[in-house]
Amino acid sequence: MAETKKKKIKVLVTKVGLDGHDRGVKVVASLLKEAGMEVLYLGMYQTPGGIVKAAIDEDVDVIGVSYLSGEHLVFTPKIVAEMKKNHLDDVLLVAGGTFPVEDIPPLEEMGIDRVFRAGSLTNTIVQYIQQNVKR
Amino acid sequence: MDNGPDIDEMVKRLFSGDRRATARLITWVEDGMEETHEVMRRIYPRTGKAFIIGITGAGGAGKSTLTNHLIRKFRDQDKIVGVVLVDPSSPFSGGAVLGERIRLHSHSQDNGVYIRSMASRGYLGGLSRATYDVIRIIEAMGAEIVIVETLGAGQDEIDVIHIAHTCLLVVTPGMGDDIQAMKAGIMEIANIIVLNKADLDGTNACLRHLNATLSATSFEEGEWVPKVIPTISVGDKPKDIQGMDELTAAIKEHQTHLQKSDAMDQVRFERVEHELGLILKDELQKLIFKGLKGTGKKKRYIENIIKGKDDPYSVVDKVLKTYIKTKE
Amino acid sequence: MGNVIREEKKEVQIEGTWDDYIKSYYEKPSSSKSWSGFDLKEIYTPEDRPHEKYQKEIADSGTYPFTRGIHANMFRGRLWTRREVVGIGSPADTHERLKYLSEHGGSGLNTIADVTYEMGLDADHPWSVDEVGLTGVNITSIKDMETLTKDIPLDKVSWSLITASTAAAVTMAQYVAVAENRGYDLPVLKGSIQNDPIHFRYCGFRPACPLDLSIKLGADVMEFCTKELPKWYYTTVNMYDLREQGITAPQEVAFGFGIAMCYVDELIRRGLDIDEFAPRFTFYVSCHIDLFEEVAKIRAARRMWAKLIKEKYGAKNPRSMQFRFAVHTAGCSLVPQQPLNNIVRTSYEALAAVLSGVQSLHCCSYDEPMCLPTEKAHLQALRTQQILAYETGVTNVADPLGGSYYVESLTDRIEEETLKVMKQVDEVGGMEEAIRTEWLDRKFESEALKRQKELDNGEKLVVGVNTFTTEQEKTTPLGVQRVSGHSATQQIEEVKKLRRTRDTDKLKEAISRLRDAAGEKKNVILPMVEASKAFGTTGELLGTVREAFGYPYDPMETVESPFN
Repeated sequence: MAETKKKKIKVLVTKVGLDGHDRGVKVVASLLKEAGMEVLYLGMYQTPGGIVKAAIDEDVDVIGVSYLSGEHLVFTPKIVAEMKKNHLDDVLLVAGGTFPVEDIPPLEEMGIDRVFRAGSLTNTIVQYIQQNVKR
Repeated sequence: MDNGPDIDEMVKRLFSGDRRATARLITWVEDGMEETHEVMRRIYPRTGKAFIIGITGAGGAGKSTLTNHLIRKFRDQDKIVGVVLVDPSSPFSGGAVLGERIRLHSHSQDNGVYIRSMASRGYLGGLSRATYDVIRIIEAMGAEIVIVETLGAGQDEIDVIHIAHTCLLVVTPGMGDDIQAMKAGIMEIANIIVLNKADLDGTNACLRHLNATLSATSFEEGEWVPKVIPTISVGDKPKDIQGMDELTAAIKEHQTHLQKSDAMDQVRFERVEHELGLILKDELQKLIFKGLKGTGKKKRYIENIIKGKDDPYSVVDKVLKTYIKTKE
Repeated sequence: MGNVIREEKKEVQIEGTWDDYIKSYYEKPSSSKSWSGFDLKEIYTPEDRPHEKYQKEIADSGTYPFTRGIHANMFRGRLWTRREVVGIGSPADTHERLKYLSEHGGSGLNTIADVTYEMGLDADHPWSVDEVGLTGVNITSIKDMETLTKDIPLDKVSWSLITASTAAAVTMAQYVAVAENRGYDLPVLKGSIQNDPIHFRYCGFRPACPLDLSIKLGADVMEFCTKELPKWYYTTVNMYDLREQGITAPQEVAFGFGIAMCYVDELIRRGLDIDEFAPRFTFYVSCHIDLFEEVAKIRAARRMWAKLIKEKYGAKNPRSMQFRFAVHTAGCSLVPQQPLNNIVRTSYEALAAVLSGVQSLHCCSYDEPMCLPTEKAHLQALRTQQILAYETGVTNVADPLGGSYYVESLTDRIEEETLKVMKQVDEVGGMEEAIRTEWLDRKFESEALKRQKELDNGEKLVVGVNTFTTEQEKTTPLGVQRVSGHSATQQIEEVKKLRRTRDTDKLKEAISRLRDAAGEKKNVILPMVEASKAFGTTGELLGTVREAFGYPYDPMETVESPFN
């Protein structure tokens, strides 16, 4: 199995819906790239269906969604549903942005593997992904 | 215990147009998995029919937006389109195209488009070998058109473009010097030269220059003479986008040219020759290194070369002789 | 702890490890740079300003070049306007919160548009339905504006309408339409509208803010207000949002001025005299966490704007040269870790604003990096302003930091740096070109990356983030604001009902007049007012103008015009 182990972690990061705060997601994309990952930034105004389709086509290990306008509870179930429909059970789903702590347990219950709030250091994100990719 | 991936199952799913199987098989290629060889052997007969368009040019020339418009045109004809982005700065691999993405990802929900980005990371058999395989997988999935987009930077990427039936070279008016430098290679690579951003200063001078270069080149009777198509691929307003119909027509014309002359046979011959060479080289190397594995010979050869006791040429002669003899 | 980054540790540190105490005792600041990266000296002396020309460069407050403030008596004349931004759920929900804050001593009404409204989408647009009211208020028709402004005396209050995108033209039209329907004469209306579509492309609204349309509609509002609403501040050029991208203080001023000049140039091109419109020009400025740098920035901006308007545009009226500004404390300086600390951060930032002679102030609530403000958090932010205004005594003297060797020297330094950045913009062909070629986008991206790296490597310290970290708290201290999904659903239903019941013929006529005006490049605000009165929606008004300018009717390219 050793030689079939993936050499590089492939991450898709994206915005969803109308929220246009994209400074953070672009910074995270650059920093994950610097940390040696392959990063695809999908851009703004994505739909849950479009995000999951891109994740399938690109065979990514991680989907990272950036939420900064209180839309996390609206879109997360939709993304998770699309992932389930397409059996993406070996893809790590992480979210970043502005949320009250009270929303972290429900987000995790909905199916997000890890939530990174504003103020997270790059190291924390990189290490988490490296240690938790599912394949 | 993992018995290894189920090749039968994966190939079956690929033939049925399953996107996840397609994506995973491409990952096998990228990761240089051994099973790829068997997969490619099985799918080969189902491939070779798609029309392959190569798009190359320097970064910032607008290749991705052109690709996007072409996808749209082919989707209007109900063709299943595959796209391979061999370009670290393409929109799907982050960074380069930020902001107005609505038109760019207008295909994001369209199941008739398969888009895959390939980082130019270290492929065992080289980037072009991997790209050949990826294209064939996408073909086997059902794509009728495959667009391969590369950054026309190095030999590796230029090799990739050899895969295409029709090759588009994208230049912009500001690239006068670059074009000068590329002049020698230009005619060999490009079937169509796209002068993008044709609203910028210097467009007319650049057009004159390109046409002069072309008319100074002699073409044989019946040979394809590269076409120069001015385009504008980016704009806020739909009417700002120009030259897309002309570009699609030129691609069609080149395709017809290939079909009616025996050019298509020649292209096909060259492609297979190129591909065969790549695979042979790659597999031969793998086989020999596998044979040497555990003998300690490889290390010794290398050390001897470094110490000046031997040289790579003599080593290869020796290795090949041994190999061929044992086989005989 | 200095600049050592504490990794999140699970084990509890034993109280009383004396090494830590001793280290703390001898600890020095980890950096001697300002937030924007200026190397600072240990002490500033008269030597640092050897050529001071007080009258020419500084002058008393109320005197050109207004470095020390635009009014001679500053806050003795009138306190700054204590505004808190409100926008939540439906127009009715927002109206409730406005009432609450005004009952507690808020002195200005600030309402902010949500993402759907800013994008120019109606509440029932397919892209809107999930997001209506999440970040502000959506006004789809004049009915929503009526609900929002119900019972509020529009001639007495100063209303600040925070719509920035091209939708600001619609907001202005809707406000004017409601005011006229309620019998007010336009000249009595006072307040402001953000109306800075150019900058808003950098806040994720590019599809709604193409450059030519941004300048056109932005200038239409400015021109209309100059002629019809003499008490109205028709733009608040938003340097704040630019700063939030991660840029430095001098870049904030330089890019903000660059955008402001796009509008000024357009108004002059339309034949207006600089002195006719410049007195109603205002800015929205950030106050970040480095107190002295922020004060110096605003003093420099005041001096530079005065010189620019006088020297470049030939203004004669001193009022034209005054840099009027509102401050929004820096949202990006706040963090969700140990959230109550945000109250302290905001207080310092608000202090900087007041020491700079601010005209109008919004304090971020402590829960800004978590959710929309709760009622309690909103009130607390207002209290921060009131403590400054009524307890601290900082209102007594104009420009209290003026004359400080350090602050004067830093003011000069920021002016110098800002001029350098403005020169860079000139070198790429001016602001419009910098925007068109995405030069500015690249600037924002590289600066934002630098800021995160400074945090990652401990060059900049933020308590709770990369120093003095503690375990994540379990709850948000004053609770969490939720937006009721019910309000949104109700608003969407109302809009659908409106579409069924309005007089279509009358609307079609009004839309066709709007289309003609846009096609003939005439000012579209008045036709928009008429179309609003005929119950045309935000999407319909804006879409009609977009089409006349060659853009797709719907910025999301989902909905087609019902009028073709």
